[in-house]
Amino acid sequence: MQRQVALVKQSLFDQGYLDEQFMELEDLQDDANPNFVEEVATLYFKDSARLINNIDQALERGSFDFNRLDSYMHQFKGSSTSIGASKVKTECTMFREYCRAGNAEGCLRTFQQLKKEHATLRKKLEHYFQMARQAGPKETARRPK
Amino acid sequence: MGNMDTEERRTDQFPVGMRVLAVDDNPTCLRKLEELLLRCKYHVTKTMESREALEMLRNKSNMFDLVISDVEMPDTDGFKLLEIGLEMDLPVIMLSAHSDHESVMKGIIHGACDYLVKPVGLKELKNIWQHVVKKNIHSYKRNIGSSRQLQPSSESNPATSVSRKRKEKVNDSGDDENDSDRDEDYGDGSEQDGDESSTRKKPRVVWSQELHQKFVTAVQQLGLDKAVPKKILDYMNMDGLTRENVASHLQKYRLYLKKIDEGQQQNMGPDAFGTKDSSYFHMAHLDHGLRDFPSTRQIPSSSLLSRSHLNKFHPSVYSSINPQGINSSSFIQQGHHHQNSNSSSSANPFGTYHHNSLLPRSQSVNLSPLEPLQFPRNKSSAYMGDFKSIGDRGLGGGFLDSRMSFGSSSTSLPSAPSNNMMFQANYTQPLLRPTEGNQSCLDGALSNSGVHGLSRFPSNNTWQGGLKPARFPSNSLPLNHGFNQDQLTTYAVNNGMEDCTSLVSSTVNPVGENMHCEPQLLGDFIGNMNTLEGQKWEEQSCNLLNNPFGNLEYPVVPASNMVFRDNNNANRSKELVDESLMSPLEESATTLNNHQEYVGKPENAGLVDNQHDVFDDIMNEMMKQDENNGMVSVATRFGFDSFPPA
Repeated sequence: MQRQVALVKQSLFDQGYLDEQFMELEDLQDDANPNFVEEVATLYFKDSARLINNIDQALERGSFDFNRLDSYMHQFKGSSTSIGASKVKTECTMFREYCRAGNAEGCLRTFQQLKKEHATLRKKLEHYFQMARQAGPKETARRPK
Repeated sequence: MGNMDTEERRTDQFPVGMRVLAVDDNPTCLRKLEELLLRCKYHVTKTMESREALEMLRNKSNMFDLVISDVEMPDTDGFKLLEIGLEMDLPVIMLSAHSDHESVMKGIIHGACDYLVKPVGLKELKNIWQHVVKKNIHSYKRNIGSSRQLQPSSESNPATSVSRKRKEKVNDSGDDENDSDRDEDYGDGSEQDGDESSTRKKPRVVWSQELHQKFVTAVQQLGLDKAVPKKILDYMNMDGLTRENVASHLQKYRLYLKKIDEGQQQNMGPDAFGTKDSSYFHMAHLDHGLRDFPSTRQIPSSSLLSRSHLNKFHPSVYSSINPQGINSSSFIQQGHHHQNSNSSSSANPFGTYHHNSLLPRSQSVNLSPLEPLQFPRNKSSAYMGDFKSIGDRGLGGGFLDSRMSFGSSSTSLPSAPSNNMMFQANYTQPLLRPTEGNQSCLDGALSNSGVHGLSRFPSNNTWQGGLKPARFPSNSLPLNHGFNQDQLTTYAVNNGMEDCTSLVSSTVNPVGENMHCEPQLLGDFIGNMNTLEGQKWEEQSCNLLNNPFGNLEYPVVPASNMVFRDNNNANRSKELVDESLMSPLEESATTLNNHQEYVGKPENAGLVDNQHDVFDDIMNEMMKQDENNGMVSVATRFGFDSFPPA
């Protein structure tokens, strides 16, 4: 089971969903801090959901306040970077570029893509954490039994 | 780990337990940062709001060893945090997602001791403790294998806490030459090399008051423009002093003078002080009484003037008080000029005063001089906002605060009331030149007058009520600009109301009245003055605090201010102010109506709420003290160690 967990994790890396920052998070997890990665991931998804919501609303309003959007995205990108959400981060970068270019269309498009990546990552990580929990201690994403 | 029971323990295992304040408005990033720091075995306090961070820094000046903060927080100003940390002489590390040249440059120019690009890794954080050491390097060096104890206080032992080391460092004003003199009460420029020789190219010279005085005399004799190190050296004729020592001291002196000039001429913003020019402060400290005063003052006590140290002035003040009266007008003029500079400074340097005991020398008084205003230094009360330099915590800071506020208030009153102050100040502080450098002096003098005025203050109920808000926030960091305003207002109002009229020429009255009716205007005015003078104050206060000679030379203007503000709180700050101010006042008591009130009071041993008592005590104390110990001992006696808790 633990091997499966490892494989799942590896695939996430291989597919570019996660990068080395995620590994750093794992390094910080230990017996004294057994749920750290999951804790941070939860924090991330909560925070990013809020940001996505804000951006959605801003975009729906139709008035493209690029500065504000850029500011939201700055936050989004920051957290995505720190947990190693690689694909999401890429989308954030693109979105910001469109903001700077004042390209509303580009923003909208990218944002859709971003949401998609975000949702995908979330699912995958949830799955991963679940497996890790089931597999028991030993893997990084483990939970005390 | 991180939580050590005592500072010593923390220090002993440093960097384990190093107290870090982490600020980032992104919760994910912050959590990760916290964990990384914990992994490095630091003690972490985190917050997402820079406002909260600022508060923590201001209120608990000794609470942290290092600040690490994101600077791109949309709703907050990372640079502000940086400034405050710098004022408190805390190393501040900037975090940013931007790695471009300009961003990094901006961060470093603002004084960040390091700039890390997000995402940060464990590797980068593992070594951030080096910045704490750098800031306190003198302390570290001293403590490492030191057989020579420089700290006069009982705290001096090798296993001092990091914060203590920082304090020491603050005292050192970061300058090699000044490194050990603040702690010691030496009078001559003996060389102190001790255990620091390994990294020093030349032996350190302690620029004691006397030595500095000689130096200034020499410079004045030669003329500032013509004062070259070689000639100064010859003039001073001191053994053990090299041309290099003089040259570097001269450079600092010049810088100090320049800053004073600049400060007077403009409203110095928070950045004004922002330099970590501890030596500058030190210089100011030594020099506050000496600069270019003679030209403006006709005071017979020119000899006094030449003495930059209040502690020395003590006796001379008395002698020169009378003649001073004549000069009051000149003082006043000067005062005006300087007023501006004082106001702002008062708040800052001392903001933390109550936290730290700046006076390493004083026995138990926290009155220690504000640790040099080196900017980012924590020693001197945190300079929050406008007062950068002051940052040191501890009593010295507090003390100064009161003084500063006092000064500021006096300065802020450009109108007659301020004149009153000045007038009175003249009496009390003949030595205090109106020059910028002396601004604090003047203020101190003013505070004296204020003090007199204060005697009546208690009776002014309306005032008291109004003053409350203006109380000097004992635990606030000096950067509280607004605070100054309040203080000033209070002070101004009080002074204007009470004593100005009696003590000062009639011109004061109108002003006083105005003040009475429109304290707000005054407050604004004062506020403006503060900003202008704030820098000066800081410098001055820093200087005072930093007085390596351990003397609170500066008239504790802020203290007076405090008195005014909270007349019932004759807190120590008042006492402090009084001490310095009172003695001269004693002499001029006859000339000051209110003075009588004070004079008559029996001496109190401790802090007294009653202003009168405080003043009396201080005065008595002052008179009993020898020059050099006047301030310190008084402070000790009164146990000044924090501002009124209120």
